[in-house]
Amino acid sequence: MAQAENPLLDDRTVSFLLDEVLDLRAHLALPYFADHDREGVEVLLDMVRKLARRVLYPTWKPQDEQPPTFVDGRVRLHPSFHEAWPALVETGLLSATRPSEHGGQQLPFLVHAVAAAYLGAANLNVVGLGMLTTGAAHLIEAFGDDAQRAQWMTPLYEGRWTGTMALTEPQAGSSLGDVQTTARRAVDGSYRIRGSKIFISGGDHDLGSNVINLALARVVQPDGSSVAGTRGLSLFIVPRRRPDASSGDRWVDNDVTTTQAIHKIGWRGLPSIALSFGDRDDCHGWLVGQPGRGMPQMFQMMNEARVGVGVAAVATASAAYQEALAYARGRAQGRDPRNRDGGGPQLPLVEHADVRRMLLRQKAIVEGSFALALTAARLVDRAAHAPDEAVRAKSQRLLDLLTPIVKSFPAERGYESVALALQIHGGYGYSSEYPIEGWLRDQKLNSIHEGTTGIQGLDLLGRKVVAAGGEALALLLEELEATAARATQSGVEPALGEALRAAGERLRGTTMALAQRGLRGDVLGMLLHSHDFLELASIVVVAWQHLELSAAAHAGLARGGPQPRAFYEGKVLAAQYWLATELPRVPQLAALCEQGEASYATFPDGGW
Amino acid sequence: MKILVPLKRVADPENANKVKIAAPAGGLAPKIETTGLEWKPNPFDEYALEAALRLTENGTAVKARLGEVIVVTFGPAECDQTLRGALATGADRAIRVDVTDDQLDGDLVARALAKLVDQVKPDLVLMGKQTVDSDSNQVAQLLAAYLGWPQVTFAANIVNEDNKALKIGRVADGGQINVRVQLPAVVNVEDRVVNPKGVTSPPTPATHKYADGVRFAPLPAIMQAKKKPLEVKKLADLGVEAAPKVKYLGYEAPPARKAGVKVKTVAELVDKLKNEAKVL
Repeated sequence: MAQAENPLLDDRTVSFLLDEVLDLRAHLALPYFADHDREGVEVLLDMVRKLARRVLYPTWKPQDEQPPTFVDGRVRLHPSFHEAWPALVETGLLSATRPSEHGGQQLPFLVHAVAAAYLGAANLNVVGLGMLTTGAAHLIEAFGDDAQRAQWMTPLYEGRWTGTMALTEPQAGSSLGDVQTTARRAVDGSYRIRGSKIFISGGDHDLGSNVINLALARVVQPDGSSVAGTRGLSLFIVPRRRPDASSGDRWVDNDVTTTQAIHKIGWRGLPSIALSFGDRDDCHGWLVGQPGRGMPQMFQMMNEARVGVGVAAVATASAAYQEALAYARGRAQGRDPRNRDGGGPQLPLVEHADVRRMLLRQKAIVEGSFALALTAARLVDRAAHAPDEAVRAKSQRLLDLLTPIVKSFPAERGYESVALALQIHGGYGYSSEYPIEGWLRDQKLNSIHEGTTGIQGLDLLGRKVVAAGGEALALLLEELEATAARATQSGVEPALGEALRAAGERLRGTTMALAQRGLRGDVLGMLLHSHDFLELASIVVVAWQHLELSAAAHAGLARGGPQPRAFYEGKVLAAQYWLATELPRVPQLAALCEQGEASYATFPDGGW
Repeated sequence: MKILVPLKRVADPENANKVKIAAPAGGLAPKIETTGLEWKPNPFDEYALEAALRLTENGTAVKARLGEVIVVTFGPAECDQTLRGALATGADRAIRVDVTDDQLDGDLVARALAKLVDQVKPDLVLMGKQTVDSDSNQVAQLLAAYLGWPQVTFAANIVNEDNKALKIGRVADGGQINVRVQLPAVVNVEDRVVNPKGVTSPPTPATHKYADGVRFAPLPAIMQAKKKPLEVKKLADLGVEAAPKVKYLGYEAPPARKAGVKVKTVAELVDKLKNEAKVL
């Protein structure tokens, strides 16, 4: 009999979210998903669970312990990558959500996100390479021409090659406007690329025969002039190997050099690479889409990529939570505090109140984040495929607003959640004999890549809540109201719905106050507490999700739904915990934002 | 080669602790509580399916099917999902015999399978050595007896000899017994049959190494599986009377494990082994 191993994600919670909260069956009725049905999704998830638990998870720790090597200018992955990667490719998941005319299966992004959560909980290195490859192919699909799709996109979707997002440079991280890599047009219509890129995940490896970098570069005219800032940036296909123009189907080296494999603390199986383009001035690049449109094109893909980071963060936090739960049930420490002489049997950790607090906090973070990420994933589908134009537009608007929260909340609170899982393990958790410390290191990246948490705060406050006269926020408040009404109707304590309404109102008030500050020209004053604003909005949004879960759980209890009673009661209590412990922080954070508490803004240089 | 592979869904063995038996105080429960159970294909049946696929393909070009694998299960409509999983994995068609679990025992399944073999006419019935829920390990043996076919149990490796005979290494205490069986036959398998070299079958080159374990159904195949034939039969269609020989009187959970004790000295240990455990 198989030992009970870490399930990574709770299967019941997945079924509950898909069937009782997000109504996957109704979602599958969208015409774009006509070839899918609920039963097929379950067969897919069964396959994904096996792949995650049996194939990918056992490779995670070895990959963490033996990162890729950089020898003679080339990077070699851990040997297990050579088994795990083909297994992932064979599932067809790389192109699963894409249209059938591009070789995809038109799978809902919602379902794909669940699959990614299982697989990411098992091993983010392998899944990360998959997400990068899909992302690169998707850019070519969306903005390239037919020839580029045939030449570059198809091998990527088929997993024969892998892709990268080559944006960051040593002097241009969060500020991509400072990218210095140049592109000069050649007589054959392609470009010659020169420059250095850094932190390019998957930028070199020994898996397939080619790596396709989707690189941002600045077009330089023959007279040496170029457009400064982000408006001068264009998107290029810069492969490691290119077809030789002179001799048909021969492939030659494209003057892309690996200069460094960066040592990092997490996602250690997936190489992060420093690349040099054009050391011999023979690096060919092909323009994707319009010149000067590199950033907007990139950002059109950004919602999906950032939802993907949210899913990765949920996955990591969930794996750690499951590990801590099993540990707390299995390890006996301490006795009932009512036994004053310290007698009686040792109790499992899970019997102690403070351990229960740490478990419930993790559960609330993991499940609130998961519900939020999947809600966003469903919006991705609706924004692209709802037959009604108005539904598509509204979905896009709400998705745009939620994206910085989906990107940052699961990452930031997921880090706290993994730290709690470690704490439950005590000294063992601090040792590398147990897996938690690895997840802690993996999790940290999620608050950094694809836009740091700081960037997300600026994006939310500076762009998203004020866009189109605050239309997105109005949509969110409508959703909050609908959920509060539904919750009360399902039998949730009415005070919880009221608390959510009040928090939503406070969010609206704070947003108004800050927007007016910005309109008066005090942009710095508006953005001073962008982090607190992000935190405030995140608490409200996740409370909304928890109330939605609680409403569905109450409904399940009332009608004798498919899950056991204790399962539903767990959802109700997790929601109660979240609202009771987090919503009281809303007025405090709102006050910080509104009053513009100025300690760090006015801090004197000599005072640090 | 035409192979019939019986499949059963079981309560997820990795979550088996969630199986609940709600017994009235001091008595037996009339049934197992199945609310909220997660169902998975019986792992040994998955191994049988994998072995059957390897026997009916060229491992280097698995899309072209070179034989036929028919999967069959006994159960209510929800079991279609188990069959669809098998079809997605590569089986060619499926049959569900529409019954509920309480109408079944191993003998009835074997009798029904025997009738089904008369209809389907496979060269081989390949099955898991047991299901991980009731662990009875009876159906293959009973089926072989009802059919009058040779049987090989606990197959750990299979060599296909021109689709006419199989050379099978079967697990025995302390080693392996190698036997040759003429088809048609009933064979049940254990987990080693899905090792990379568990099945040898031309035209798969002898050098070919399968991935360890069962294969995973890719998404396109999952979608195509919907279009593969899935036939529903009743026991009556097979001419089998729904009369199980086993009568289930009731269920009770095994007694909870008692907490251990720590002994201070060897003498105390010996004393306990002798006088309490009475093993010395």
